[in-house]
Formats: sequence, structure tokens, C-alpha cells
Amino acid sequence: MHILRVMTLTKKRIRDVIANPRLSFIVGIALLRGCFYIIKYNMFYKNVKIKFPLRAYAPVKIIGSGSVFIDNGCSVYINVFQGLTIVTLSSDAKVAIGKGCALGGVTIRCHNKIVIGDRTMTAYSLVQDAFFVNPDKVKSFNINKVLTKEIITMGENVWLGGQCIILGGCTVGKDSILSLGSLCYHIKVGDYFLAKYSPVRKALPIEQLLKLKE
Amino acid sequence: MIVKDSIARIRGQLFIIKCRIWMRNIHIDDGLRIYKKLKISGKGRVFIGRNCLVDGIKGDDSQFVCIDTLNENAVVKIGCNVNLYAARISAGFNISIGDDVLIEEAGIIDTDFHSIDRNRELPADESEKNCRVKIGNRVCIGARSVITKGATIEDDVIVAPGAIVTKTVKSGQIVIGNPAKTLD
Repeated sequence: MHILRVMTLTKKRIRDVIANPRLSFIVGIALLRGCFYIIKYNMFYKNVKIKFPLRAYAPVKIIGSGSVFIDNGCSVYINVFQGLTIVTLSSDAKVAIGKGCALGGVTIRCHNKIVIGDRTMTAYSLVQDAFFVNPDKVKSFNINKVLTKEIITMGENVWLGGQCIILGGCTVGKDSILSLGSLCYHIKVGDYFLAKYSPVRKALPIEQLLKLKE
Repeated sequence: MIVKDSIARIRGQLFIIKCRIWMRNIHIDDGLRIYKKLKISGKGRVFIGRNCLVDGIKGDDSQFVCIDTLNENAVVKIGCNVNLYAARISAGFNISIGDDVLIEEAGIIDTDFHSIDRNRELPADESEKNCRVKIGNRVCIGARSVITKGATIEDDVIVAPGAIVTKTVKSGQIVIGNPAKTLD
């Protein structure tokens, strides 16, 4: 049964290639580019691990000495002329990205730990677990209130809207949506919730919103 | 690291010499360090204090520090020991920044550039008194935030990433969001 299923899938794929050769060419180029990034980062950078396949339609940039892990089946799309940038700012920093994510235009700056779940979809947005990239340059006396570098965890199937910012101490449940231009700081967004406004005070369950529409 | 620092110091010194010979409206004190590009344009006056640092933010090659004066009467004053990481300043009237300030990937503007009429001419009701931007000492401004016209920020304030400041902020506060409010 399993072999039969694989056979039908391959037949379908070959049919797709014949039907739309231009699109399949673009996908092939992206796969090749992804292979180049996989070889580059897995061979020459000891702290970075990317699994095959990665479809890179836009450039991927990983900087810093912390550990980065990207699971298989991810793709990087073009979004506001930017690809994926991951910056680890200390050697203890950990970034983990799940399976099948669509990462386009997202910038991740990590001091401590950032976990992104499976099948996450992103637009031009910022995920940063501290207020400042260069905290040693800060001379204000009340910096101790905001210097805590907390963990950011995001569940499966989350959708990050354009220009949204996620700061430290946020947990986002699965199937949730962060709307356009929203800012999360020290807030817990549950499963299947919609977060609005900047900063987000209270997230709303999407089931209720759909009922209101009817 | 030592090589990088020395190169940055040499680049800063060259920029100072260039300003003394060609661009007389710009006055920079000693100790400037340029790690990435610094672009100053316009005919207004620009003052930069001692031991300033100019750099791009990590992981972004396209952004650099940009100071733009829109007319001859515009003035930009930057204090001593200021760290500018991909800051973008454009002045129509007067922008003054204090000492020991940190600015990361933020924008500072003191005009609306156009009126809200259909003809989109220059705004008539703007003057230096109600549009000037003043930033105090030891202020820290986070990434992707904007400081708009008429805003004054007092000493020791922290502006969170993504904040849009439109009014006065009293000293020692932390502001977040759009429009910027104090964090409780």
C-alpha cells in the first residue's frame, strides 16, 4: 500500500512539472540555493544545523556564536526585499525552528532562547528577546527593570502579521494570529487567539469573533 | 577586534579631515569611530561631540547612519559618547541629542514634510517652537521606533522597540507601544 501511495505521488509530481515548467524551474533553483546554504552552514559553522530540504527564494543570513537549528521542509520567501536573518548575540543563545515553516522577512535577534513551532508563517517582523542589541552600552539607571532576557516560545501553525514585534517573555499558543503592527511584551496568548494593538493588552479567541460575524 | 577598532578610528579621523576641508557646515570633535557608512547630507549645520560611535545594526548590511538637514536653518546637535547604530535623523528645524545616548535602528524626524492639503505644499503652521525635538542624557532608544515632531524626552528614559513617541516623556520612565505609553 505504501509503495502504491508513493508511486501515485511521484506520478502527480511529474504531471505538475509538465503542466507548469516555469514554476518548477523556480522551485528547483530555490532548492539548489537551499542546498548551497545547507552545505555552507553545516560544513563551516559548527553551531548551525540546517536539515534538508530548504527552499531559499531569498538570502539566508546567520550570524553569531550561539546554536541555531532549522528543521526540514522550511522555505524562505522574499518579503520587503529581505530574507531570513538570525543573529545570536551570546554563546549561550539557542534558536530552534520547527518543520515546514514559511520564513520570509523575519529578523530574529536572540540573547537567551527562542523556540518557533512547526508550520509557522511569517511576514516582515521582528522577534527579539531583549530590549537592546548592545546592552553593555546602556547607561540609564533603570535598565535593571528591562534587562531580563526571557524565553520566547511559539506553538504550531502561528501566523505573524506584517511589522509585528515580539519581545521577551511572550508565549504564543498554537493556531494563533498576531495581527498587523502589533507588539507583544510579557503576555500569554492562548490557543487559537487573535492578538491586536500595540502593545497587546488582551488577546481574543477567534471562535468567539467568528460567531459575532454571523 | 583591535584591527577593526584601529580601522574605525582611522576612518573617523579621515571623515573629520574631509569635513574640515570640504563640508564647512559640519563640525565633529575628536574620537569618532566609523565601523560602517556615515552619510551626512544637506546645507544645515551639524555638530557631533567627542568619542561618538557609528555602526550598523548586527545582521543588516543595507542600513547605515544617515543625518539629513532639509534647509539652511536646520540644526542637528549630538552630544558626547553617543552610540549610533543605524540611526536615521532628518531635521527641518532643530534636533538636539544629549550625552551617553544609545540609538538602535530608530528614526528621528521633526517635520511632517508636507501639509494635509490636496496640493501637498510645505506645512505653514510649523515653527521651531512647536516642532523641535529634544532628547536628554542617558536615553536609550530601541529598534524600529520613531520619534516624531514636538517630542521631548527627558533624562534616563528607555524607549522600547517599536514605540512611536509623539509627546513629552518625563525622566526615568519606560515607554512602549503606539502611541507610546508608560509601562506598568
